[in-house]
Amino acid sequence: MRRSAAEIALSAGVLGVGAFATVVTAQLSGEGGYAGIGPNFIPAVVAAGLLVVGAWLLWEALAGGWRNRGAPDEGAEHPFDAQAFWWITAGLFAHMALIGWAGFVIAGVVLFACVARGFGSARVLRDAAIGLVLSLAVFVFFVKLLNVNLPAGWLQPLLGSAGI
Amino acid sequence: MVETFNALLHGFAVALTPMNLLWGFIGVTVGTAVGVLPGVGPALTVAMLLPLTAKLDPTGALIMFAGIYYGAMFGGSTTTILLNTPGESASIATALEGNKMAKRGRAGPALATAAIGSFVAGSIATALLTLLAPLVVEIALKFGPAEYFALMVFAFTTVAAVLGSSTSRGLASLFLGLLFGLVGIDGQTGAPRFAFGVPELLDGIDVVVLAVGLFAVGEALYMAAYTSRLPETMEKLSGSLMMSKEDWKRSWPAWLRATAIGFPFGTIPAGGAEIPTFLSYAVEKKLTRYPEEFGKGAIEGVAGPEAANNASATGVLVPLLTLGIPTSATAAILLGAFQNYGIQPGPLLFQSQADLVWGLIASLYVGNVLLLILNLPLVGIWVKVLQITRPLLYAGILVFATLGAYSLHQSWIDLLTLYVFGLLGFAMRRWDIPVAPAVIGLILGPLAETQFRRALSISQGDATVFLTQPISATFLAVTALLLIVPWVLRRRRRAAT
Repeated sequence: MRRSAAEIALSAGVLGVGAFATVVTAQLSGEGGYAGIGPNFIPAVVAAGLLVVGAWLLWEALAGGWRNRGAPDEGAEHPFDAQAFWWITAGLFAHMALIGWAGFVIAGVVLFACVARGFGSARVLRDAAIGLVLSLAVFVFFVKLLNVNLPAGWLQPLLGSAGI
Repeated sequence: MVETFNALLHGFAVALTPMNLLWGFIGVTVGTAVGVLPGVGPALTVAMLLPLTAKLDPTGALIMFAGIYYGAMFGGSTTTILLNTPGESASIATALEGNKMAKRGRAGPALATAAIGSFVAGSIATALLTLLAPLVVEIALKFGPAEYFALMVFAFTTVAAVLGSSTSRGLASLFLGLLFGLVGIDGQTGAPRFAFGVPELLDGIDVVVLAVGLFAVGEALYMAAYTSRLPETMEKLSGSLMMSKEDWKRSWPAWLRATAIGFPFGTIPAGGAEIPTFLSYAVEKKLTRYPEEFGKGAIEGVAGPEAANNASATGVLVPLLTLGIPTSATAAILLGAFQNYGIQPGPLLFQSQADLVWGLIASLYVGNVLLLILNLPLVGIWVKVLQITRPLLYAGILVFATLGAYSLHQSWIDLLTLYVFGLLGFAMRRWDIPVAPAVIGLILGPLAETQFRRALSISQGDATVFLTQPISATFLAVTALLLIVPWVLRRRRRAAT
């Protein structure tokens, strides 16, 4: 009997989302007009579906593991590398925090350097430089050519007022 | 027939205007360039480039998107053959023989048969699309809300439950997609649902955020956590691109057979090109006169799946354009592109927007020719793109991924949503949960709900309407059979042993 903690956790997650959807649906209006069903009908169906599928997955996970799960090829994966995972996550959250304040270009440089670091690159300065060139090129292309609004942030004096 | 021909001629007049030709050219070039990147399949390519269209006119933008769609597929085959990292499940069959051919120093002919085969299959399939679309439109014009709803339920069931390795995981993905689709203002009553007072959520969850989160952020997290310490290998593109007389003789029957397999599979809701590519591979393996070469680099094993992939990608456009039903993740994102312009594909589109539809179909013929030119003589350029190392590649992908999500509302909330979908995509990738049902559920779910409630409004709340209309009843009956029959068969087999 093969039992995987991840499978059990993910199945429980689906169940949890289903339970959450049920609670939210209970607060929706059932006023239906001619159709006789309101904006809460399909959400109720979806919530029920999530609960049933979640229970089904949980049963599979406890009774011999999820069915037909393709095993990864020999040598196609190494054990979970937590450091790599957290570098990518850190990059994305730093980008989230910086973009509205320091601007698109600076946030892009930080994101680029963090992700490259997560994939094992040791040359932080070179990565940052490439990230700078890429973010600047994207900024100029989108803001000046396509009129998409992107925040210039701290680089406003350099990039002009095209950004917000 | 004559009408169709005239409409197509008119379409060519639209597609061949200098501006639209330019958009088509940009589309196929960008599509190839991005599609070549390892780990970036057509669905992600289209999703990442969707924000670009915000300021373009619809005809030009959609012609560009058709080019990106085709280009990403051509580019993907180059990566598959040289790098053995299929960007999507539809390329796995090609990788089986293609990478073996490259290892034996026959990368040139492998790329050539893939490109020419894609061209042949794509062109024949586009001709079939041209002939078939008006016929489907005629039938679809008779569809009311009940029929549409039944058809959508059928599509959900096949994509999520029948195909793929597990019904339970397929359904989990579908219901999550449907739940995401419910977020936002209810189209019928204006009541907010699952928005929790967050303004960014009132607009609903954009398909760009979901697709880019699942495909790009999820893939980056997975690759970093589970593969970043493995060495990278790439086969060299050495020798001539020319196919020998023998190669041609072995390739062309495979192309034609694969087109016959791929196109019909594309038109039905069968979840994209995975099944027809493997089917074509199996057929070629069975019919070949060189069975000893299979597993070591048989050219039929590249010619067939690649042609099947392109034929089915074109077939997908039949239900997308005529019924507004996406049958693959990429098609669902293309439908999102239409919706961004307030255009709902379906039978009426052929009347109200004839210029746009026929211009788009004509541009597929043009795009196929452009792609053959781009991918054969110029393949050397794309091989250079492959030399970008993984740290820089994924860093670049995430810069573009976050750009797409941020440009929707200029808000960090969308970036947080993107990361949450990234975590989901990471889990789905690692624990073998299919992604396509979630994307299709998000896009098709709200449309299905609208049709469902409309049908009930017309019938004054009488739910039997879905069973008394013959077309609707047939779709629902077939759906029920698809769910029950495999289960009964499994039971019997277990009882017999």
